[in-house]
Amino acid sequence: MDVEQEREREQRLTTDQRRAERAAAVAFTVAILAGIGLFVVYFAGGQTQIEGVLFCLVLGGLGVGVALWANRLLGAHEAVEERHELTSGVAGREAFGHALAEEVGPTLARRSLLVKLLAAAGGALGLALLLPVLSLGPAPGRTLKETPWRRGIRVVDETGRLVTLNSVPEDGFITVFPEGHQGSADAQALLIRVPAGSLELPPERLEAVPEGTHVAYSKICTHAGCPVGLYRATTRSLLCPCHQSQFDVLDGARPFFGPAARRLPQLPLGVDDQGALIALGDFYEPVGPAFWDRGRK
Amino acid sequence: MTTMIERSLKYVDERLGTASFARRALRKVFPDHWSFLLGEIALFCLVVLVFTGTFLTFFYNPSVREVVYDGPYRPLQGQHVSAAFDSVLRLSFEVRAGLLMRQVHHWAALVFVAAIVIHLCRIFFTGAFRRPREVNWLIGMALLFLALGEGFTGYSLPDDLLSGIGLRIFYSVTLSIPVIGTWVTYLLFGGEFPAGDIISRLFVFHVMLLPALLIGLVVVHIFVLVLQKHTQFPGRGRTERNVVGKRLWPQQTFKSVALLLFTTAVLALLGGLAQINPVWQYGQFRPFDVTSPAQPDWYIGFLDGALRLGPPWDLTLFGFTISEVFWPAVLFPGIAFGILTLWPWIERRFFTKDYAEHHLLDRPRDAPARTATGMAGLMVFFIMFLEGGNDILGVLLNVSVEAITRALQWALFIAPVVTWLVTFWVCRSLQRSHAHPARISAGLRLRRTTAGGYETAPLDPTGNPE
Amino acid sequence: MRRTAILLGGIALLALLLTPAAGTATQQQPGSSPALFTRGRELYQQACASCHGPDPAGQSVYGTVPSLKDVGGAAAVNWALRTGRMPWKDTVGPVIERGQPRFGGEDIRALTVYIGRSVGDAQIPNVQTSPALVTRGRELYGQACSACHGMNGAGAALGGANIAPSLQNVSPQDVAEAIKIGPGEMPVGGGLPDYDFHSAQSTQEVNAIASYVESLKTRPYNRGGAPIGGKGPVPEGFVAWVIGLGVLVLAARWIGGRS
Repeated sequence: MDVEQEREREQRLTTDQRRAERAAAVAFTVAILAGIGLFVVYFAGGQTQIEGVLFCLVLGGLGVGVALWANRLLGAHEAVEERHELTSGVAGREAFGHALAEEVGPTLARRSLLVKLLAAAGGALGLALLLPVLSLGPAPGRTLKETPWRRGIRVVDETGRLVTLNSVPEDGFITVFPEGHQGSADAQALLIRVPAGSLELPPERLEAVPEGTHVAYSKICTHAGCPVGLYRATTRSLLCPCHQSQFDVLDGARPFFGPAARRLPQLPLGVDDQGALIALGDFYEPVGPAFWDRGRK
Repeated sequence: MTTMIERSLKYVDERLGTASFARRALRKVFPDHWSFLLGEIALFCLVVLVFTGTFLTFFYNPSVREVVYDGPYRPLQGQHVSAAFDSVLRLSFEVRAGLLMRQVHHWAALVFVAAIVIHLCRIFFTGAFRRPREVNWLIGMALLFLALGEGFTGYSLPDDLLSGIGLRIFYSVTLSIPVIGTWVTYLLFGGEFPAGDIISRLFVFHVMLLPALLIGLVVVHIFVLVLQKHTQFPGRGRTERNVVGKRLWPQQTFKSVALLLFTTAVLALLGGLAQINPVWQYGQFRPFDVTSPAQPDWYIGFLDGALRLGPPWDLTLFGFTISEVFWPAVLFPGIAFGILTLWPWIERRFFTKDYAEHHLLDRPRDAPARTATGMAGLMVFFIMFLEGGNDILGVLLNVSVEAITRALQWALFIAPVVTWLVTFWVCRSLQRSHAHPARISAGLRLRRTTAGGYETAPLDPTGNPE
Repeated sequence: MRRTAILLGGIALLALLLTPAAGTATQQQPGSSPALFTRGRELYQQACASCHGPDPAGQSVYGTVPSLKDVGGAAAVNWALRTGRMPWKDTVGPVIERGQPRFGGEDIRALTVYIGRSVGDAQIPNVQTSPALVTRGRELYGQACSACHGMNGAGAALGGANIAPSLQNVSPQDVAEAIKIGPGEMPVGGGLPDYDFHSAQSTQEVNAIASYVESLKTRPYNRGGAPIGGKGPVPEGFVAWVIGLGVLVLAARWIGGRS
């Protein structure tokens, strides 16, 4: 480039730089004003949206100014740096090896029994240190296979009101618990009233459905444990909102769509002499998702 | 003023010898490409998370003890809620700037993981994980998992209905692990769900254990980067034996500070204007309540989608059961993340046989098989994410959830193959034409021929006519 | 008698004041004017008989169309007409979709009287909402409604072609009527234990739930800013990627170099 073009280029740079400087100055000023605004808003009581916008202006104003400075006001020249060798090389590693083995090496060779016992003792210590971890929780025992439902326990709703044959309108449903265990996570069950004669259960299961209309299933999805709270009255199916498993209420809560593999366990029901619904025992299977020893007694 | 600064520098240098070290450090050269800033976005999100998180810790109470809510949110007045939930509501409605800090914290968490993912993609698609940077790749993968853990434990702390449902699912997933599942789960939770200890334990993980690991590994990650020097794209004057770019002072420092400010600005704006995780609307977690739609935060969404896509196959042998949850929620992420974590070794052992040191990056097109595999992998995850929101998608598109699920089950097998083939073809064709993938016309130059006409001249990799 | 009439009139006035003006006239116990009944029958023959059959209490014309004798009586008619779900629009998608009501307030009353009395279920729920009931309403809503409609009333997909619609912009009358009818996939009684349209307990509970649903519209408590659809983490994640990370990647491109 000749001298004229050089001078023009320098002038252009300076104009660009001046423009950038002005813009950065405006940006910093916006930041200052927004900062003052924050003080005002905060002491006036605060408001989440305004505070967010003002913080954005403070930070963004600073950011724009600094970015302009970096892009336009600093030099754009590139620098070159040589990479150094990362490795220490063979010599370096040998020296390290020597340093390590210097006085320990002979001991290791002579006292191999000592070394073996050291290793064993270290192992024993390591295992012993893990013991407090076992205090973090109890053994599962039978808790995953049992719920508070027992033969004769009365059925109540969430508030503790006794549930009778009239508590649910036809094509309605409610959530129920054993009396004394309202809100129990593993005992939660759905009581659904279906039209008479519509259930397709094997006879021994149908006996546990009062009037052939009031059927109860566990509310805990057998897939991943979410409460299956959506009852679809026209199709008489239950839908779990977590992963969209769907269960056919008339066919023993058989899953007909979605990732669930097993039916919702049925709760056997009867009616006591006062007309209250009672359980005839615990659920027929362990409730909820599967686990390793679910099928073992 | 200047003499004061000079005197302070002298004071520190006489005791710590900082001056020459600082001079060398300030002169360090960093290659200057915008995609090298993606990791910094993640780092700055972490900074925001630590600062806002510390503020939140002063107000949060990790206890499930029941209290009666008496704050300004009318629909819950007089209700029994846990102290944890109550503290979050108090912070949101009764502490000045409390809701802003909470929302900035949550938005920062979402953007943090997104930035890690996009940074991971940059590393993957440019082959920056090759020797000698495999260690940093492993550290980066660990950081990704720690970030996922931090996010999950974090949004479960308010003890609200939505996150509680997620905790129940997590409980079921750990239960499904063969042989040891029930023991591990009971140790983790302190008993049968919903054991009261879980919230306070999540708090310990979220505030102490995971941040310690996270910050420690970030420091190591950056240290290794500085030690090995940053990689660079091939170009004029760039070789395997040098680094060409801008010096730490002043260019890189100004750029990084600007990016830090922009990151915090965007997060502040989102935190103020976009409501996130309104736990008061969900209410206190109760194990027999549920709400729809029910999804986890986005970065866990692929697991949710995997669970929705999963086939209803449980396996029972001699009374021992492997739950249907095991395959999508334990086996699939184990294998997928296992492959991803071990990718540097898988690639060079089975595909490239390239054991050399690399400091120059590949453009994605220069490694078509790797790029195609990466895109196919992303497609698998993308399909999982889509399925995770299948009920919301269904309402949006006026399609049933069953149809979406069926379509995505097929897509899970077909789409990655198609993606692989298409990406491979695109890479090859870009290699041939030397075109820039987004600026087709800029890849070619016109050249006068000796006969007097014009011809197009292809460019070499540095962007100059051959 | 007179006091009841005044009370009903007052409630009608209150209900009219509480609901938005356009096309959603609330109905209280319809008066037993024969003119209304006749007008209702006229309208029924014009607009409804082609699908529901010449007699509301009889068979409908098509197998897929329910007979009006077991859909929930006058309350069902009121609800379907006021929310524009009936007369049937040829829509694709969710089976029962809200829309602009085709009939004005008087005609709706007429049809309600006619059909209600023809099928022997002429009663329409009375709803009385109150801010004092919001807390109890929320509690009940969480037990019975949130599974399908979402704790914040945003609505959700129900599988198949069905959705549980958003409740963030519905009237208390809609709530009470829907609970009584159990329209579509919704169970009769809405999942409330011991639901009985005539019982005082159920009326109180329905009033409470309606109060909470109303508060979703009038005092939605979106202190955090734009609710982004109120559908939870999915739209939030979308915003985080597109706006959060998107803007930051653009910022990085501005700040960084392009080699």
